[in-house]
Amino acid sequence: MSGAEFDAIVVGAGPAGSTAALTLAQKGVKTLLLERGEQPGSKNMFGGTLAWCPAPEELIPDFWEQAPWEREVVRRVLTVVAEGSATSMVFRSHDVERPFRGRVTLFRPAFDRWLAEQARAAGATLVCGCMVEGLVIRDGVVCGVRVAGSDGTVEAPLVVAGDGALSFLAREAGLHGGVHAEQVAVGVRALYALDEEDIHERFGLVRGQGATNEFLGGTAGVRGGGFVYTQTDSLSVGVVLHLDSLKARGLAPYDLLETFVDSAHVAPLLRGAQLVEYSAHLLPEAGLSMVPRLSTSGLLVTGDAGGLCYTNGLTQEGMNLAMTSGHAAGLVGATALAAGDLSAGRLRAYDDRLRASFVLRDMKTFDRAIHLLKGDRLFSAYPEVVGAVMGQLYASDGRPKRRIGRMAREALRGRVSLRDLAGDLIRIGRSYL
Amino acid sequence: MNLDDIFDLVSYRIHPEAHIVVDHTTCPSCSHRACTFSCPARCYEWSEVRGRVDFAYESCLECGTCLLVCDLGALEWSYPAGGYGVRFRAT
Repeated sequence: MSGAEFDAIVVGAGPAGSTAALTLAQKGVKTLLLERGEQPGSKNMFGGTLAWCPAPEELIPDFWEQAPWEREVVRRVLTVVAEGSATSMVFRSHDVERPFRGRVTLFRPAFDRWLAEQARAAGATLVCGCMVEGLVIRDGVVCGVRVAGSDGTVEAPLVVAGDGALSFLAREAGLHGGVHAEQVAVGVRALYALDEEDIHERFGLVRGQGATNEFLGGTAGVRGGGFVYTQTDSLSVGVVLHLDSLKARGLAPYDLLETFVDSAHVAPLLRGAQLVEYSAHLLPEAGLSMVPRLSTSGLLVTGDAGGLCYTNGLTQEGMNLAMTSGHAAGLVGATALAAGDLSAGRLRAYDDRLRASFVLRDMKTFDRAIHLLKGDRLFSAYPEVVGAVMGQLYASDGRPKRRIGRMAREALRGRVSLRDLAGDLIRIGRSYL
Repeated sequence: MNLDDIFDLVSYRIHPEAHIVVDHTTCPSCSHRACTFSCPARCYEWSEVRGRVDFAYESCLECGTCLLVCDLGALEWSYPAGGYGVRFRAT
């Protein structure tokens, strides 16, 4: 890789890295985009959603016409799973805005490849099959990367880390002390091929429309949940499990996935579908508490590597935060390069920009909710209470019915103490209200 | 999920050398052996005969779970060399 001079090196051609590289290239910055996979996206499983955000259109005006997304989400279902029952809340949008302001399902290997291609077309140099094993740091200033194998080092005044949830580069730069089991969840996913028509029929959709189904409970007491997302002619089915909780319970992710796939609420959706792939990935889940300082001399940290990903229990955000952070890193980086000042003080403008944007503001807004999801009762005791109350509410046995409060008290008995209930209600109220 | 068929379900370009190295001398003092059940690809298996964890890297999904559940620092962990390892399908 000698001979070429670069102003910026972006590590990782995921949504954050490729967006950063695209932004830099559009600003005329000589940019090198390094990806360890054979192709951008070949290391990415995910079958989730991309929520609308302004960054993609600012870079590619017809982004939503061009990008290879799968379905526009019009139906979102949250299901609370108990032993013997499942209680769902269904949101259905009938008011589809154009241009839309919702979210789309997409297939990351295809999407990532396309996005990296946009960066390349804008002038960035994309090198795949290149594993960055560390940084070049001189006098406390990040000035390049070390490439595994015989390639040695590549230097540039700006490095953008988009190296994913394990965040090795930010750690090496001293921005955090390493990622811990309590801060992440492991997602395991099964990809099922299913005819488009069957998807439409089972999820109540017409062509181009998508559904997301999320499940709380049914994970054998492990904090986490399940999901079924609709792609064009496939379904992403998986469970996301807090790593500390999984470890404490001594359970295996593939067993919990099997239980989920075989469950009465998921199995009918998969009838006749063919299992075509299995995959696993880590997700940052600790909210602001794991977001480090995102810049230092010569380095900007984006996407999952910066912990920019969260669920508040009702919705999941990640790709939009990744792309917005990549965009911000590109803008701040280009300005800093033009000024010839890559100092920590100058690059702090990137942190400031994210703090002012929805990225860190949303994470702040839902910070209590993110931490609420660290409570075990939400994933085992309360789903059973919901199931018991709903079951009694809809049952009819010829005897007089009781008030819901009495049913709830009975369902809570032995599961949740009044003291815990009071504390949880206050926490839930403070998290969402 | 039956992982016996993982090589039918997942495509790999396997490097001749393991990208994760286990320090087996640490395993006997481990109280939880979390790697043996939390690894989504079941790369780690406890061997009673040898009194240690047996590790096979070939089916690794490169998620990082093992690195984070091992609190004894027994793993020398790296992603596979560029272009190697798991390759998720694009279509």
